[in-house]
Amino acid sequence: MSDVGTGLFDRVHGLFSVIESLPDSMSDEEVAGLMGVLPPDSRRSLTAMLVPRLREGSLAFMRMLATWLNEAAGAPLEGRKSVLVPFCFPPELLHCFDNSFPLTSEVLSSLAVIALEGQGERYYDMALGLGLPDHICSANAVEVGSMLGCDDFRPQAIVSAAAGSCDINCKTHELVSNYHDIPLFILEKPVDETERGREQYQKNFNTLVRNLEEFLGEELTEDKLRATCEKVNAANLLLMELWDLHKAVPDPVPNLFSLYTYGTRFSMWGTDPAIECMRTLVDVSKRRLEAGEYPAEREVARCLLTYTSYYFDLAGLFNWMEERGYTYLGDGLDFLFPEIIDTTSRESMLEGLAVEARNMPMTRQVGGNSMSMCWLEDALFAARDLKADCAIYSGHHSCKQTWSVSSILRAELMNRANVPMLSLQGDSWLKRTTPMSVIQDEIEEFIKNVVLPKRAGRRKVRRRVPVEDA
Amino acid sequence: MTVSAMEEVARLAGTIENDSVKRWKDGGGKVLGYACITTPPEVIDAAGLLPYRVRALGNANTEIADAHLARFNCSFCRSCLQLGLDGTYDFLDGLVETNGCDHLRGMFENWQYVSPSPFFHYVKVPHLATEDAVRYFEEELRLFREAIEGYFDVVITDDALRDAMKRQEDIRDRLRTVYRMREGAQPSFTGAEALAIFLVASAVPYDDFIELADRVVEEREGTSVPRPRARLMLCGAATDELELIREMEGVGGLVVADGLCYGARAFWSSADLAAEPIGALAGLYLGEMLCPRMYTDFPRRRDFVLEAVERAAVDGVIVMHNKFCDVHGVDNVQLRLDLEKRDIPVLQLEKEYGSKADVGRVRTRVQAFLERIGDTA
Repeated sequence: MSDVGTGLFDRVHGLFSVIESLPDSMSDEEVAGLMGVLPPDSRRSLTAMLVPRLREGSLAFMRMLATWLNEAAGAPLEGRKSVLVPFCFPPELLHCFDNSFPLTSEVLSSLAVIALEGQGERYYDMALGLGLPDHICSANAVEVGSMLGCDDFRPQAIVSAAAGSCDINCKTHELVSNYHDIPLFILEKPVDETERGREQYQKNFNTLVRNLEEFLGEELTEDKLRATCEKVNAANLLLMELWDLHKAVPDPVPNLFSLYTYGTRFSMWGTDPAIECMRTLVDVSKRRLEAGEYPAEREVARCLLTYTSYYFDLAGLFNWMEERGYTYLGDGLDFLFPEIIDTTSRESMLEGLAVEARNMPMTRQVGGNSMSMCWLEDALFAARDLKADCAIYSGHHSCKQTWSVSSILRAELMNRANVPMLSLQGDSWLKRTTPMSVIQDEIEEFIKNVVLPKRAGRRKVRRRVPVEDA
Repeated sequence: MTVSAMEEVARLAGTIENDSVKRWKDGGGKVLGYACITTPPEVIDAAGLLPYRVRALGNANTEIADAHLARFNCSFCRSCLQLGLDGTYDFLDGLVETNGCDHLRGMFENWQYVSPSPFFHYVKVPHLATEDAVRYFEEELRLFREAIEGYFDVVITDDALRDAMKRQEDIRDRLRTVYRMREGAQPSFTGAEALAIFLVASAVPYDDFIELADRVVEEREGTSVPRPRARLMLCGAATDELELIREMEGVGGLVVADGLCYGARAFWSSADLAAEPIGALAGLYLGEMLCPRMYTDFPRRRDFVLEAVERAAVDGVIVMHNKFCDVHGVDNVQLRLDLEKRDIPVLQLEKEYGSKADVGRVRTRVQAFLERIGDTA
């Protein structure tokens, strides 16, 4: 086990160096033994991840993450530069370079919340201790708080790709850049879906590539691009396959695989470990489909989460839902819509990567010319394609851009697809805002009182009688 | 009884659809609403339309807006949306959206979704001021011009644009005069009065404002407001709350300078009147923009504040943001840290827009801040 410091990265890396040593398949007794040595918060998450139906996929996911963390930790020793990126940036661009390695802010925050004792809240408090307001996004603040408040791992550069789609994401990274004097590269997505907007985005993307080449002192050659893009394509095909598997009734893909899918997408896309992890998720789901396995007696409701999820209690949300027959079809971060990259030339690959970047979650929806309509378009597609009975907006309190148009999404999902949407309120990463028991109660009431009666045709819409007719 | 020019300003600034707007409308004039300093009113003015900057004037009622925007959205935007949906802004003949911030975008989308404006145009503003971005923005301004031409059946020539730019420069010039008179050793205006003059400047026709501004300046030339306990600079988020500034000044502070978007940030720089008009406007409204929505410009924003602190002999700076405003909420932290490094007293304040419940708390915080600064009188 590596020396464990007090910073988020060091602690997460230390924990994953233990997880990495776990065998490929574990018996229930071995799992129970492992849980005995873990602190309570880590134990709770790992218990949820290592239930028998999830174990193989979970171990594949954790091994992929362990490789990611090891490479990040080792990067500086090998003369590679670590670059902090947001989840809405395709990490494969940095995997294309020999001299760089991507570290994803939100993935690190999520790992702290899921795996560390104290669930990363101490780092969030460090960010607030600096005077940052309590409405900043915990997805960034947990990780960034560690960088601002601890002697933690520091990246050599930051790429910010949320300009146009999330103010707080961009502002937080700007602050870290100024505070620690770390170079900041911005990839702006114009809020413009016209041809001109696309051309401008490609220009911005090409500028970023040139800036990275200069910063890293390395030319991004056609060979390097091709080696990574081929792996991106392989992973994209598996991603498409997994999406299709979700269409089966009952859904054979375990609820937590949604998180594993984008956890992989946001960290190691374009590498072999990502392909291996995705292949395992697909294989497990296929076997479950063939065996007709589903965690509950029957699939009660197919739920599409329209944006983020809740990550502070995996058992309390993902496993609780599927054990009651509430399928988690995926959430807004699964709105990935991958396209196969044309690998014939350097130019075609840069174009393909720019398309990947433009299609990243959040960028594609609320970074569009209309936040509500671009988001609605994807949510509608997913709801119809995956045969959703209902939608749930988790209402992460810091997502001001989605909050500002969620009422339109709710109305239009109902108008156009007859899909009712539940709006929750909470913090996706911090348990202190809304307890999981409250979230469970609200989901339960929504499904019992709205979704099921509606599906059975019993729910009548009460129309208000105009005053003059009353 | 003769009404002083400043009283006339106060009257006009305190009403959304003021008498001047009513006269303009009665004469068959059209009014286009915009909300953000990234919008060049010159393009609207050049078409013969009245550019009107949307404001909420401290409106605390957000009952209708809250059914659309969420409680997690900034209360300034919710207040503006409320007025958009309750009919207060029915005098507008169109709306111009910009992507100033996430809340503002949501405000416009909901306004347009619930109560569609006959003319609606979205000017997309980059977050960087690189050469590429400025060129993109130039094209946005050309599209904006075309949209107005098409809908209102007018032609906006380059000469008309140049004339409008000169008119806006006249307005800026008057505002800078007022600000200079406030910054001096014997300030002739209070902060609340300066804000009122600013609000009128973006809510009445050019002629009305110039005539009134000149009268105000003449009236106050050589006068001074009572000596304050401390000279303050107010920075931060959208603030058109006259009452809030009066409260701050009521406890002994005098706002002698500001870094607000309903204030100095909207008019401090000038356009290059000799250059090709669209390029000059893009250079001014993007290249010179002082707003935390621009993600690589913090040093410029900080320097703007430091220069004003020096110029206006500021004793302390208040950096303020409306609850849930991310761009200012984070920028204010960076600014506070940099001001503290230079031993400039600074108060970081979070508040709800227009909330009466916050007034007492803000007053107490400002009182405590003034005590920390110490009496300068």
